[in-house]
Amino acid sequence: MAKNKPEKVLDEPGLKMFVYLSRILDRAVTNAAGRSVGKLTDLKVRMGELFPKMSSVVVKPRRKKKPLELDWAQVDSVTGSRIVLRPGAEEHFHALQVGSDELLLREELLDKQVVDTFGAKIERVNDIHLLVVNQDLHIVHVDFGLRGLIRRLGWLKAVDAFTGFFFSFRIKEKLISWKHIQPLVSDLRNQDLKLNVAGSNIRDLHPSELADILEDLDRGNRDRLFKSLDVETAAETLEEVDPRLQVRLLEAAPAESASDILEEMAPDEATDLLFDLPEEQKQNLIRTMEKPSRDALVELLRHKEGTAGSLMTKDYISLDSEQTIGQAVEEFRKTTYPLDSVAYIYVTDKERRLLGVSTLRHLIICDKSTPVAEFMNPRLITVEPDQDIEDVVKLFKKYKFMALPVVDRDDRLQGIITLKDIIQETLED
Amino acid sequence: MSVFSAVKQNPRVRSFLLFLAILGPGIITGSVDNDAGGITTYSVAGAVYGNKLLWTLIPSFLLLVVVQEMNARMGIVTGKGLADLIRESFGVKVTLFIFIGLVAANIGNTATEFAGVAGSLMIFGVSKYISVPLVAVAVWLLVTKRDYKTTERIFLFFSFCLLSYIISAALAKPDWREIGRAIIRPEMHFDTGYLSMVLGIVGTTVAPWMQFYMQSAVIEKRIKIQDYKFALWDVIIGCTATVVVAFFIMVACAATLNKNGLVINEAKDAALALKPFAGAFAAQLFAFGLFIASVFSATILPLATAFFVCEAFGFEAGINKKIQEAPQFYALFAFIMTVSVLIILAPGAPLIAITIWTQVLNAMLLPVVLTSMIRMVNNRKIMGERVNNKFQNAVGWTGTIVLVGLTAMLLLNQLLSALKR
Repeated sequence: MAKNKPEKVLDEPGLKMFVYLSRILDRAVTNAAGRSVGKLTDLKVRMGELFPKMSSVVVKPRRKKKPLELDWAQVDSVTGSRIVLRPGAEEHFHALQVGSDELLLREELLDKQVVDTFGAKIERVNDIHLLVVNQDLHIVHVDFGLRGLIRRLGWLKAVDAFTGFFFSFRIKEKLISWKHIQPLVSDLRNQDLKLNVAGSNIRDLHPSELADILEDLDRGNRDRLFKSLDVETAAETLEEVDPRLQVRLLEAAPAESASDILEEMAPDEATDLLFDLPEEQKQNLIRTMEKPSRDALVELLRHKEGTAGSLMTKDYISLDSEQTIGQAVEEFRKTTYPLDSVAYIYVTDKERRLLGVSTLRHLIICDKSTPVAEFMNPRLITVEPDQDIEDVVKLFKKYKFMALPVVDRDDRLQGIITLKDIIQETLED
Repeated sequence: MSVFSAVKQNPRVRSFLLFLAILGPGIITGSVDNDAGGITTYSVAGAVYGNKLLWTLIPSFLLLVVVQEMNARMGIVTGKGLADLIRESFGVKVTLFIFIGLVAANIGNTATEFAGVAGSLMIFGVSKYISVPLVAVAVWLLVTKRDYKTTERIFLFFSFCLLSYIISAALAKPDWREIGRAIIRPEMHFDTGYLSMVLGIVGTTVAPWMQFYMQSAVIEKRIKIQDYKFALWDVIIGCTATVVVAFFIMVACAATLNKNGLVINEAKDAALALKPFAGAFAAQLFAFGLFIASVFSATILPLATAFFVCEAFGFEAGINKKIQEAPQFYALFAFIMTVSVLIILAPGAPLIAITIWTQVLNAMLLPVVLTSMIRMVNNRKIMGERVNNKFQNAVGWTGTIVLVGLTAMLLLNQLLSALKR
């Protein structure tokens, strides 16, 4: 590259420092003397930075079948029509190797599907946008748009002239920054997804968005993407996924993670999932779970499907009548898992019999030393574990609560059913 | 354990149930194969050439099984559609080339289905200017409003009508010895008529658009690699069904029409082939069968084509999306339907000729699709260990070369006769 002058590249007027991959692929690669040594078939990048730079060029020498790799340091300049190498570069050709943190732009990214974490969907890569900075070529954007397709065909000038003349219109680019892109390509050896660690993560997506993405992917990419999620995200995502897919995803997950994921899931969701698993797998998973979660699950599994008991969760806050508001706040602080019903605090006696319910509002406005029982509402609507879900739905419709407590015949609190669960239940088609 | 689950644990019963669950893609594709294009082509072949073209069904069957198996295997191993794979392996230019061909061929194929609709309803005296637009609107509504799966099942059920050809063929008492001889010692000619008929038969039996359709169906069933054996049986059964029906259509037409020197100018002429079976009701039975087959395929074809094009180029697609969400998909669907309808509605449009030539177009596109498929299915990076064996490659490449050769000969013939004038 000529000293500090930004390299003159392209066809695109005004964007002299940018280059599209499609414009330089298959161009002639010449040595310092000007003789062609082959053509550029690919570029390799090492992931890790926000906008990683090319680490090697891949050249297919003339009259040879296999492409060879050359370190980027051997490249002198890249222009729209050719790539010029430094003197003596030809000695440094070696066989192509791709590490688990390296990506080949044409082979593994161009024309393939990727996850766009900005738009929360899957897109197909039409072209790749690179930036020349000093001596390096960085990947900055991925092109998803129609313009990219037209550019690949080589018709951009013609189409621009046409639309400009007849409609005073120029088809816009659709470029998404590399930091939002997670490629769906795996390392050949361990079959794990090559993660774009510096970029905004898959983790930033809402679980429902991730669930949609997983449902749209083909089996291979889907299993790999799911495997790459941490346990917490995997659990949240699994809760949002279509039931049939839930089973398949869990089966694809490595054995050690499967029980961890189940533990992390909301107990009622986990029970639903376990219901659908083949008997042997179900027993295996329950066995490998940790005791507290396992006990909760086994208990829930006892209830028949279609009853209130199968829908309830044990994630709620309850205190006995002698405890204070201050202690309730402490309980809140201690819960690290997401509580679906933050609205209510249940008040019980020493035998766990339900006495009343207090709300979040009381926690905020009452004095810390006030007993929880003082402002609680003793008039409670409850359901029993054996009651039909239809009855529960009717109660929710009538009273519009955020959650309903489930008690046994002796009024002992067994669990709660949240509005979220009812929505899922009634909106399931 | 209840009795039911005890039975389910029995390994043989489980195999059978699994087979039933996986059954589908091959059989459905097999039925769709006998659409208006198929029925017409096989009927004309039997009427014009008697038993002389029966031999073409054997190489067609072989090619069909090998190709469909490749599609099923690609779908099971990669979980991706054929359009996706083509885009990922060959890039934008090749994909565009293939899909322009596919859209052109499928406009032709859709026009053929509407020709079938027009022809079958003409037997009942309904003019094509009424029947075709009405059916086109009905198809649009069916697709955008109703549940596609139940529609598929209804039509599959009615495709059993085609079995009436088998009965008819038997009742017409053809000379089975002569049929045997015609198959074992085929007479080959190289004039335009014969060549186009051979290409037409191959093109309608191994239609390129069905490769895309079949692979999609396999993916939707989410068949696992372990269950590959069942998918293979499904393919074989489907292909056998297609070719058996084709065989009997040709035999029935040969024994009734060809023997009596009758030609097929319109659909109702072809109906006479069912006379031995249905007597006076031959026309109505034929019309009913043809109508069902045509409407079914007229629904699937434009839909599938639009879907695959959008898949390949990254546009949103699917009937579960609103028009604003997937504009390119609906636009393409509407475009294909409109052009096909216009072709058929053109006054004096020769419906039979259009049908035959469309199938020839299929046969011309097939080598292109086949080549890309063979290259992908031999690529270890895509298929892992499940690449083609020598036999499959041999059949695939031979089929491709022969088709290209026949096409070249046909075009040469056309050129020469044009120059002579």
